Amino acid sequence: MALALLCATPAAAQQQPGDVANDLPAAVAEEQITVSSDYRGSFVTVFGVNPDRRGRGDIVVVVRGPTQPARVMRKRQVFGLYMNGDAVRFREAPSFFAVLSNRPLRQIASAESIWRYQLDPAASAQLSSAVPAGADPSAYRAALVRLRREQGLYQEYSGRALPERRGGLTLYQGGLFRAVVRLPANAPIAQYHADTYLFRDGRLVSSQRVPITISRVGFERRIHDLATQHSFIYGLLTVLLALAAGWVAALIFRRT
Amino acid sequence: MIYLPIAEMPVNVLLVLLVSGAVGFMSGLVGVGGGFIMTPSLIFLGIPAPVAVATGASQIAATSFSGVLSQTRRKAVDWRMGILLSIGGMLGSASGVWLFERLLRIGQLDLIISLLYLLLLACVGGLMLAEGVAVMRGRSTPGVSILRRPARTIAHTLPFRMRFPRSGLYISVIPPLGLGFIIGALAAIMGIGGGFILIPAMIYLLRMPTNVVIGTSLFQVLVIASLIVVMQSTATQTVDLVLAALLMLGGVIGAQLGVRLGAGLKSEHLRALLGALLLAASAKFLFDLVIRPVEPYVLGGGLL
Repeated sequence: MALALLCATPAAAQQQPGDVANDLPAAVAEEQITVSSDYRGSFVTVFGVNPDRRGRGDIVVVVRGPTQPARVMRKRQVFGLYMNGDAVRFREAPSFFAVLSNRPLRQIASAESIWRYQLDPAASAQLSSAVPAGADPSAYRAALVRLRREQGLYQEYSGRALPERRGGLTLYQGGLFRAVVRLPANAPIAQYHADTYLFRDGRLVSSQRVPITISRVGFERRIHDLATQHSFIYGLLTVLLALAAGWVAALIFRRT
Repeated sequence: MIYLPIAEMPVNVLLVLLVSGAVGFMSGLVGVGGGFIMTPSLIFLGIPAPVAVATGASQIAATSFSGVLSQTRRKAVDWRMGILLSIGGMLGSASGVWLFERLLRIGQLDLIISLLYLLLLACVGGLMLAEGVAVMRGRSTPGVSILRRPARTIAHTLPFRMRFPRSGLYISVIPPLGLGFIIGALAAIMGIGGGFILIPAMIYLLRMPTNVVIGTSLFQVLVIASLIVVMQSTATQTVDLVLAALLMLGGVIGAQLGVRLGAGLKSEHLRALLGALLLAASAKFLFDLVIRPVEPYVLGGGLL
């Protein structure tokens, strides 16, 4: 992947800083992901073409779930028992975050750009409360990323998808690129976005945002709608089901 | 694999049926409710704790209803006492659901649940093991009916006394209300039915005759479990209908097989075995609390 670096000549760096175009053709193969009773997660495939004819520059694809408040606690020992310490709150943190790039992100973009365009999950988590006295805020941020990464909710890949990895980004002839990432079943069901960024010489040149909709269908949708919109009726229905099951069981018991 | 609409995760249908069937089988075999084994098993399967606790209540409602039906035919339910216990239980479970939400908010729910399970499993497991071993050694344990002396307890001296014709009692209404309250609160927080606490308390504290104890406690458990399902559905929206259906199916079939098999088996060996199992589970809870955790950080609850 050093080719792209060699092709990126200083002559290309003529644009004004902050002048970011939206001319990056990109699309998502799975614009609608449906969740039915056999849902076990999905793949998201983002593909597009580098508008530069000579294929100069680096591609970064970020698949983001909606941001939500998050809390991280550190266990502390009280009377010999480990219990949760005070919670550190994040005003917003992405519920899902996958970043894919053709080579390691640190080589593509500066730390400042990564922070500014929120290209890594730590950069996207906004701390909103004070940390306990003597604690390090960045440790809590790192813990949030580490725990979510273990759950498969935060993923980072550089280079092409390999069989043993769950995602990757591949560059093809003619500037074509394709990024694949696995969306685990525990990722929230919501509106997602796939953002594609073209970097050249460490600067963002062009970007594009494509929406991805994940929605429940059929039986899953009806159950969820009932549970959230008519929760009292849903509760009664569950009790009725329990009573019916108990009644049938009692009938069978009586017979035998 | 089937995707659970509320827990928002796929589970293996056969695995859930197997686990709920095994829990139902054990409860049928040994004669315990099984809620206090079911809820930790579900958490172990990866179901979020709030969903496990709330959904487990629906399965408890199902099994206790079938129990109440058969006990009613034997006229073994003291309705007046049952209603009194249920009134206490309703207040208790409402407080329990409120406390559940508060604890979830301050991030100490898992600690409280772990501590309560640690104590509960240790007590119940120890008692079952001791009883089973004593019987196996040939010593006859004093039966429950022998222990029931016509002594006066605090229930007989407190004010607001009331007559319970079915139980043949004239006692204060305060102990049944208080007992119901405690069981209701524990049921809401821990996802248990509470019969195994309620039954000894009814015998030793209220001095109820043993022939109506089981039916009456099942009635209270049924009312409380049904109420908790409705309250958790509206307050925290953590009741998963698909999971509930699977648990009911597995639990009912398992309990049937357990009862049929248990009729011809020596139950003291099984009791001792189950007691040892519960002690081991309680030790696991203890170790998790006192051993330095590998990962010192935890994410806040998924609800808030």
